Amino acid sequence: MPPKSQQKTTTLRVLRGAVTGGKLVQRTQDFEVPYDATTTVLHALEWVKGEVDGSLTFRRSCRASICGSCAMVVNGRSRLACKTKIADLLEGNASKNIASAEETVGEANVVEIAPQRNQPVLKDLVVDIKPFYEKVKAIVPYVQEGPEKEEHVTKDSFSQVIMVSNCIMCGACYSDCTAMVENPDFIGPAALAKAYRFVSDPREGNKTERLKELSEKNGVWDCTRCGMCIDACPKGVAPMEAIVKLRSLAIEAGITDNKGARHAMVFKDDIATWGVLNEPFMMLKTLGVAGSIGQLGNALNLAKKGKIPNPFPFEHKVEGLNEVKAIYEELKKNPLDVRTKAADSGPGAG
Amino acid sequence: MAGMKQHDILIIGAGLAGLRAAFEGVTAGLNTAVVSKIHPLRSHSCAAQGGVNAAINPKDDWHHHAYDTVKGADFVGDQDSIDMMCAEAPQAVLDLDAMGCPFSREDDGTIAQRAFGGQNFPRTAYAADRTGHAMLHTLWEQAIKYGVHVYDEYFLMKITNAETPDGLRASGAVVMDIRTGELHQLGARAVCVATGGYGRMFASNTNAMTNTGDGIAHAMRAGAPAADLEFVQFHPTGLKSSGILISEGVRGEGAYLIGADGQRFMQKYAPNKLELASRDVVSRSMMTEINNGNGKDGGVFLDVRHLGKELILERLPQIRQLAIDFEGVDPIDQPIPVRPTCHYTMGGIRTDKLGHSIALKGLFAAGEAACVSVHGANRLGANSLLETIVFGKITGKDMVDFVKNREGHAPVKPTDALAEVSGHIAQLKARPEKGGVRQSEIRSTLTAEMQENCSVFRDEKRLKSALNAVEDAKEKLSRMYVDDKTDAFNTDVITAIELQNLVLMAEGTVRNALERKESRGAHAREDFPNRDDENWMTHITTHWDAKKGEITLGRDAVRTTGNPQYAPVERKY
Repeated sequence: MPPKSQQKTTTLRVLRGAVTGGKLVQRTQDFEVPYDATTTVLHALEWVKGEVDGSLTFRRSCRASICGSCAMVVNGRSRLACKTKIADLLEGNASKNIASAEETVGEANVVEIAPQRNQPVLKDLVVDIKPFYEKVKAIVPYVQEGPEKEEHVTKDSFSQVIMVSNCIMCGACYSDCTAMVENPDFIGPAALAKAYRFVSDPREGNKTERLKELSEKNGVWDCTRCGMCIDACPKGVAPMEAIVKLRSLAIEAGITDNKGARHAMVFKDDIATWGVLNEPFMMLKTLGVAGSIGQLGNALNLAKKGKIPNPFPFEHKVEGLNEVKAIYEELKKNPLDVRTKAADSGPGAG
Repeated sequence: MAGMKQHDILIIGAGLAGLRAAFEGVTAGLNTAVVSKIHPLRSHSCAAQGGVNAAINPKDDWHHHAYDTVKGADFVGDQDSIDMMCAEAPQAVLDLDAMGCPFSREDDGTIAQRAFGGQNFPRTAYAADRTGHAMLHTLWEQAIKYGVHVYDEYFLMKITNAETPDGLRASGAVVMDIRTGELHQLGARAVCVATGGYGRMFASNTNAMTNTGDGIAHAMRAGAPAADLEFVQFHPTGLKSSGILISEGVRGEGAYLIGADGQRFMQKYAPNKLELASRDVVSRSMMTEINNGNGKDGGVFLDVRHLGKELILERLPQIRQLAIDFEGVDPIDQPIPVRPTCHYTMGGIRTDKLGHSIALKGLFAAGEAACVSVHGANRLGANSLLETIVFGKITGKDMVDFVKNREGHAPVKPTDALAEVSGHIAQLKARPEKGGVRQSEIRSTLTAEMQENCSVFRDEKRLKSALNAVEDAKEKLSRMYVDDKTDAFNTDVITAIELQNLVLMAEGTVRNALERKESRGAHAREDFPNRDDENWMTHITTHWDAKKGEITLGRDAVRTTGNPQYAPVERKY
């Protein structure tokens, strides 16, 4: 670092917290930190801990974005502290590798740091990682013997595995997952990406059994496909893409006796046939008659607020339906490749 | 404080060596537990990029691998351990493959292998450029599958020992549950230290911040001597500004080292192997170029531009990302600034060829924390991952055999060290800021001094200066205070205790380096520039004398096999 007189400084605004008497109490604290072009958020936190306040608490280890310890929320997004540079944050460049990301526009020259979301805070920036790992364990995270094991492995066998086995289990995707906010029991993007790692491994013996379990409640169909996990991932894993591939494989394997698969198929049929969705019928087909009655109150509320464009189930076709049909024809000819080669795991893929 | 929990096998450290040893314990039906101060998947094994050596290819021969290793070790490695490691290597890699590790493949489906430094055959198996990561996840998966008990985020505070009619033996450990600060006494019939190395004592290093030599330091205090502490490997290609590792695999793929003048220089130092000479040779060559003015801002350059964008993107994607993220350089367009950086510590707890301490019964060690001495004075690239899986397995099996067949007498009375350990923590927390020293001050002064005076080139004057720095650090440790006085997740206390461990390791390193009056492997004394086989073909052992409270040194002979091919010759690459 350059001498103090020439050094630029910024404000690190840290959301600190402590559990006392079983209750989490949080407060923000500002630290004035020096930085230059190479200073990362982790360097800044280490500087504070070393020079100002040793009680500032966070996890870190490798400082090279491979151990996954230091994921935290920086300026509103989950990131690895070790690979996020202060200068990039202040100049609005921190998402230069994330095409669709939007920066939280905060106060000038302030970097806001908070613990990961969707997980209980233990102290300052440290969250309880047990629930996250319990979900990873729930997908049976090891290659199993079974009837579907392939003996021969080829050069391309692991191309799908490689994409998802980049995962460092940092929890950034879990922290930014919007489906998790609604359903805390959702198994989450990291665990599902891990599940895909096994489903796509030729040596795995129970692929279909896995797909069945993953199609159950809290599994692949609970993802809302918001794409936040793709943006959050510091290793380019694109968990949502893995989830979409698991869904495709499950339907291909005939695992369709569940709400999610039915919903997807009705969705596809509606669009292919009419060019628009018929929400009431879709609900009927997804949830059945009894399930739909349960949703009547919701539907009435939505209708009252004008959220259901056509409350009466009279189908109409859209203009240019031929073009929609052409898209489906094209997809039929060139289906999403879920077996041989890893797709580019860039933003919005899948 | 909680009561004593009892395990058959207790392993400290959940990296590759620890988890591989745990696999042996748990699959043999023994109650096996692993203690780790960070979640197992955070272990530094995950950072190993390049690969793992094994003579799998039918055209290769493990004897050649063993010879390359003996020579790479500068003839001070133990030949029985080296032979065993190289002979067992193919099976150890195939074990991992069978567990589900996604090793990269050749066209015919066999495990792909690439060239690494100091070897006569491309025998390095890999999983893209994140081999350690792939292997670590695989072994963690096995730990879950077989139900290894993991004390996740528990910090080692003490290895306990106890008197038995057969003499002193390891009896377990005192650990701190980091989440609550609560201390636990764990009893065990066999204890294995697999806590990695002590590279954090140098200001520039490729190591994780957690690599502070805790297990080795505690084992020494419990009566198990270390050895070879003076042999510290400086990896030629750490990123210049952060020390973050750029794998030797990059040179294996054909990268050049160039000076500020833009020209390659390795032909001057290693005309045959060039950039792929042994690591100690390449690091010294780079430092010589830098010292002679052919460097830029204390570094030289690693150049991959001629390999082409396509190959870089396919085979070195993570490396490229590291260079962009941490050095601000895209290797497709610009050479990467690099400098020799502390990477690996060859020294560790001195063991027999199966990983059992030479002095403390029931105490085992595996991986970087051990000195089973397969690396001697200099480790070959991709032999460290190999050591973890071969000796994790062998040491695991030996612990199983020890517990089942050779244990002998139980301790005379149960160990109780809880009071001592909690007193130690209380004392640290009670120390006042007034007249005290911040731990960051001790750490930064010591690591800068070690870098300056105990790294690639050494001599007596510099080493004495380093020893003064160690003595100064020891004095300051007695006044070190912490800001955080709470119990839960007190990382202030943990890093302070890590620093106490690191200072002990630094003292051992400097004392051994002063003692060894020759140049061998990674230990380059400018005042003794030649290798002296007559006087120094031996390990220097480092003992903690608990009664006097000081380090003493000893000797332990290099284990030879009588193989005439292993007779020392001058190392040329």
